[in-house]
Amino acid sequence: MTTTYRRKPTKGELRRQKMEELVVYPFDWLEERSGLIGGVRYFLFRNVPSDINWMQTLGSAALTAFLVQAITGVILAMYYVPSADLDPHTGQPVAWESIVNITDHLTMGWLVRGMHKWGASVFIILMFLHMGRVFLFGAYKYPRELNWIIGVLILVMGMMEGFTGYLLPWDQTAYWASVVGINLNGTAPFLGPWLAQFLRGGQVVSGYTLTRFYSLHMLVIPGAIIGLITLHLYLVIRLGVTSPPWSKDAAGGEPEEEEARQLRPGLTRPVPRPAGASPMQAEPGGRE
Amino acid sequence: MAAIPKGKEKPSAIDQKRTEFARYKADVKARGKPFYPYAMFHDTIMSLVVVVVIICLAVIWKWTFWSPLHDPTHKGWLGPGVDPPADPGTHSFVPRPDWYFYFLFYLLRIFKWPESVFLGTIGVPTIALVLLIMLPFLDRRRTRKPSQRPVAMVAAVLTIVSMGVLTWKGATAKEALASEVQQSIPQWIKDQKLPPAAIPGAHLFAVAGCTACHTYDGAGGSNLGAPDLTNIGSRNLGIATQIKHLQDPSSVTPGSPMPSFKSLGIQRLHQLAIFLEASKGKQ
Amino acid sequence: MEPEQPSPDTEQESLHEEAHLPPPTLWPIGFAIGIVVVLVGLVIDPLLISSIGAVIAIVFGILWARDATAELRGEPVVVEPERRDSVEVDEATAADQQGVAETPVTRSVFLEGATLGLGAVIGGLIVVPVAGFAALPSFLGQTVQKVDLGPISKFPVTKWFIATFISDPSEGEVSRQTAFIRNNGPVANPDNPKEQVPSFTIISNHCVHLGCPVQANGPTGLKFTGTPSFKEHTLNGPVEFESVIPAGYGCPCHGGQYDPEGNRIAGPPVRALNRFSYEIVHGRLVLGAPYSVSHVVGTGATAQIYKYKMAGPGQHVDGPEQWFYPLQPPQNQ
Repeated sequence: MTTTYRRKPTKGELRRQKMEELVVYPFDWLEERSGLIGGVRYFLFRNVPSDINWMQTLGSAALTAFLVQAITGVILAMYYVPSADLDPHTGQPVAWESIVNITDHLTMGWLVRGMHKWGASVFIILMFLHMGRVFLFGAYKYPRELNWIIGVLILVMGMMEGFTGYLLPWDQTAYWASVVGINLNGTAPFLGPWLAQFLRGGQVVSGYTLTRFYSLHMLVIPGAIIGLITLHLYLVIRLGVTSPPWSKDAAGGEPEEEEARQLRPGLTRPVPRPAGASPMQAEPGGRE
Repeated sequence: MAAIPKGKEKPSAIDQKRTEFARYKADVKARGKPFYPYAMFHDTIMSLVVVVVIICLAVIWKWTFWSPLHDPTHKGWLGPGVDPPADPGTHSFVPRPDWYFYFLFYLLRIFKWPESVFLGTIGVPTIALVLLIMLPFLDRRRTRKPSQRPVAMVAAVLTIVSMGVLTWKGATAKEALASEVQQSIPQWIKDQKLPPAAIPGAHLFAVAGCTACHTYDGAGGSNLGAPDLTNIGSRNLGIATQIKHLQDPSSVTPGSPMPSFKSLGIQRLHQLAIFLEASKGKQ
Repeated sequence: MEPEQPSPDTEQESLHEEAHLPPPTLWPIGFAIGIVVVLVGLVIDPLLISSIGAVIAIVFGILWARDATAELRGEPVVVEPERRDSVEVDEATAADQQGVAETPVTRSVFLEGATLGLGAVIGGLIVVPVAGFAALPSFLGQTVQKVDLGPISKFPVTKWFIATFISDPSEGEVSRQTAFIRNNGPVANPDNPKEQVPSFTIISNHCVHLGCPVQANGPTGLKFTGTPSFKEHTLNGPVEFESVIPAGYGCPCHGGQYDPEGNRIAGPPVRALNRFSYEIVHGRLVLGAPYSVSHVVGTGATAQIYKYKMAGPGQHVDGPEQWFYPLQPPQNQ
């Protein structure tokens, strides 16, 4: 550590130095043994195009909605009982009763259950909006094709999560929506009837269906979603986010002109550029 | 970027894409802003909005179903807390999926010929999903500007509008559930100024499934081309014709898909005919 | 700050300052085991086991002491090098190595194959039972329970009822079902025309489009039908019979319509409504396994029912579309 002082460091400055070293020490320890701190620093301080748009916050908004679902779901699982058997005292299905218990009797149970129920809708809406934004920006093109495919898979998984979760309260809407949904799969040629019976756990929707859907809803699909989201985020960090395509100052410049001019002469107005200039040079009087 | 001089070999499409991407990367490195705090700040604001919206929805939902009677099955602005427990032997319930599946639900109502059922259940959704996944391979052009992607923009608008319409139609699809239609009878009596003799017929009309295909004074749904019956009496077809039609619809209206209601018995058909003849429209 | 370097004149001294390390030896392990056996023996059986432990400890202790003092006594200490460099091979093992070097591919290929093969075996051992458990119970052991619906004398002839019953009391509410039942009156037995047997039409209320609960189109209850509804306490628990005059059946989900015999009249249903087989046991109506119907010709006791093996909703049983569903999962027996 070489610091040049014009005079000897004061006691105060020495103490300050020692404090800084102390704070930084655990991070350095972790970084030397894992490289994680460097990864986090790269994630936080990487550059993104300077003209990005509010529409581009939809992806992280969807992630927030998913986190809300995950956390509220974990808490709800501590009180929900996935059993279609009848409670001998009240004659009502146990699963239904546990939902009524959460909603009516447990402190703030209604809030956590409500957040989970409406968080599902918000999550799906945000995914569709995010998908629409990516489509509008053409951000599914090279080199982001794989990321688009992963995104579509996350959307499908999210809707499957909604479908399996819908059965859990075991009320009339839940039961019959699941009957129809499973029979829908059953109409697929050849394997349809087998798939439907596998999903149901038998020939009719029963307690086995409820526990099966619970396992899918809690373990299988969330695992898949988390894995896919991780891949999705990794690719976003690696490949970078695009500038809005209509931006005058888009990162990477505007090479499409050349293609456009050759394909459709006269339809686009080429931007006059000094010959040989690279789009990387800042335009005179432009942004910093 | 200078025009490529004639005679020089044009780089392949993939190489052009790679060059562009490299240029983009260098540009971002040179001129970009750090993700934290600039972009992350926007993300945080948006996330806060999302969480606040979710909590507000939960609160409104709870307050509107709980307030009147402290009964979780009461329907508030955003639906009930729970419905009654599952009854696999019910014969008076109208199943519906969650709202984000309404577009698929309505697709099933569109494909109403038995031979085409699998198109609505599996065919169309699978094709749509495959197209969605294959999008980056269907559209390989480099341009990202909306003004230079007419096909993509048109396809997007068509998709959004059709999904929106299907979802809306699914949400508003009305059912002929006897218990619900019966509640409209007092309204019908008032609107049509029905005489007492027509009331047994009104009740039969509500429970015999007529509203599955016919609309009447705002109740019921329109199916299979069945006409609205609010003013059927003003056509003065006569009791005899009404009864004949109910017994054998295609003898009065050739080619009619309406089933026969003969099994109700002549006495009840007579009551229905009186009701229909008395329905001369809103007085 | 510069790293410390030993200066030449201090090297001599540093050698003497180094700790004296004993030669490598494994005997201490045996000695430790002996001590442990002694202690264990004190708990279990002092006479026998502690003595054995003491003997072990003493023997290994002596061997250890002998090794440790080898240098003092001047005996040469043989220390094996820790690494065998493949380059420095002495003549004795050259022939060995040569044998291996002639066919090096075989050994690594064998190892690769063995790793992948064993990995596959382990994977199979884990996955097969798990997947089997996930999938097979849904398909095997599907049985149908017979449902007792009470004495047939309770069913007035030609009157329809909506019957709601528990099909499997051991499963409870989850197995509740609804059927539309009519007593058609006696009919000639096809096997023995001189005999008259009871005839019932029993139609399931599960729509054959996608399984929604089908409703009867018509008035219900004593006031509107003139026939009393009743409740029967049967071996399957209480069964509700609601009187109804159906002009047909309709499905509220997607607009399917059926006639009173269950034939499809309109909408997306792909065939007629399913029916239940039945038998009369001691004068009581007992339901058996359900089956699928493509269409019904005629009505009541003399209706011709085109019967097929039970199929799921939305699956055709006749016509060209039936080949889309060639194999049905194991059904109720």
